[in-house]
Amino acid sequence: MNCALDANVAKVRKDFTVEAAFQVAGGTACGLFGVSGAGKSTILSCIAGTEQPDRGYVRLGELTLFPPAFPVYLRPIGYLTQDPYLFPHLNVAQNICFGIAEHNGAADKTWINELRDRLQLDSIWRAPSYAISGGQARRVALARMLARKPNLVLLDEPFTGLDRHLVRELLDALGHWHKTLGFTMLLVDHESEVLERLCPQTIAIEAGRIVQQAAWSELRANPATPLLAQLLAPL
Amino acid sequence: MLFGIVLLYPLAGLFVPVGQWHWDASTTASAVWVSLGFTAVAMAIVVVLGTPMALYVARISTHERMWWQAILLISVLLPPLALGILLSLAFGPHALGSFLDLFGLKMTNTPLAFIVTQIYVSIGYYVLAAIAALDSVPKGLETQGALLGHSPWSVFWRITFPMARLGFAVALSLAWVRALTEFGAVVITAYYPAGMPVAIWTSLQNFGLPAVMPLLLIFLVTALPFPWLAHLLAQRRELRT
Repeated sequence: MNCALDANVAKVRKDFTVEAAFQVAGGTACGLFGVSGAGKSTILSCIAGTEQPDRGYVRLGELTLFPPAFPVYLRPIGYLTQDPYLFPHLNVAQNICFGIAEHNGAADKTWINELRDRLQLDSIWRAPSYAISGGQARRVALARMLARKPNLVLLDEPFTGLDRHLVRELLDALGHWHKTLGFTMLLVDHESEVLERLCPQTIAIEAGRIVQQAAWSELRANPATPLLAQLLAPL
Repeated sequence: MLFGIVLLYPLAGLFVPVGQWHWDASTTASAVWVSLGFTAVAMAIVVVLGTPMALYVARISTHERMWWQAILLISVLLPPLALGILLSLAFGPHALGSFLDLFGLKMTNTPLAFIVTQIYVSIGYYVLAAIAALDSVPKGLETQGALLGHSPWSVFWRITFPMARLGFAVALSLAWVRALTEFGAVVITAYYPAGMPVAIWTSLQNFGLPAVMPLLLIFLVTALPFPWLAHLLAQRRELRT
């Protein structure tokens, strides 16, 4: 599995038009950085297929995701947002196994066990998903997304509102699986610290446009805009 | 407490002495069979037609949805007697009736007329309540289901329906009560075969209260428990989550 992402999306919004063209090499991680409302989530939604771009294209390896719109449920993509969106009528184990085809159950058992152990889900494995804490729900959502072993992982500020200890733990786990599974990763956050842990390269977005694409050292040394400089400055 | 007593007070009427209850087994059995059997057929048709309609309306744009809800509300708000007269005219010999006659279908005083009237009086209730049930399922969960590799059909059966099933039960129970207890429209379009409401009316007219009471009791026992339980279960689930 080594799927390069090639995206050139334009999406008209009420405030401005999001227009971004970029590539992420297969198996690497790239960050999307910018203030809230800059259009980062719109770009991710267009790639995941939950929103349709007004023009442009999205390719993942040999697969053309747009145009025409490739069905969301057939895209080999994992998408994690701030809201874990656990299915309340299912327990934790059923949530995690939801994306795995039933005939693959036996083959995936070792992998599911690894997710359960590494994310410390053993104690809540059979618990109703509506009865677990917010932090536990994020772990479950991460496990559920990775259970399918997606080729591309899209993360839209999935660690917002969590304590630093848990964020560190989840980042370590994600970094480990990024290396071992080799998926391509696109991570959105407005916290440079989070992005820097996983993504050597970052794309800075302002008002829907890419203003800079560089390694973190370059970004910090020569920020392209005053707003980017402010975002990168220590508090 | 007092409110509850006042609300349930009409049921005390069952214990008021009205003379020896007169049990006409053949009339009662026939009325029960007509009401329960035909209502079950009507409900099957209501579910088959109404569920896709509810799914469609729950997913369309707000503007189009308002139009559909206005249409559905008209069917709900039409006074039963007026609906009965309108159905008789619309399906009568001067309108669609002459066409239906070609296929041997009679729309007055037949099982078909009975079932069609029940469908007309209840389907609006079913669809509106089913839309509300579908609205209670967050769209984000359905999107998440698709992102996890499930087709729209699979998302409906594995996420939407399980989460909305009690709402669907409430929708069906509303439609069931509405159809089973319908009198005003049915008495115009299908005086025969007589279901329970019409049988109660004719018994009251012809023989008085002692003849009505056994039928009334059966009527309450068949009409009430299903919707009552459906509503209670739905509320218990809401409180739990």
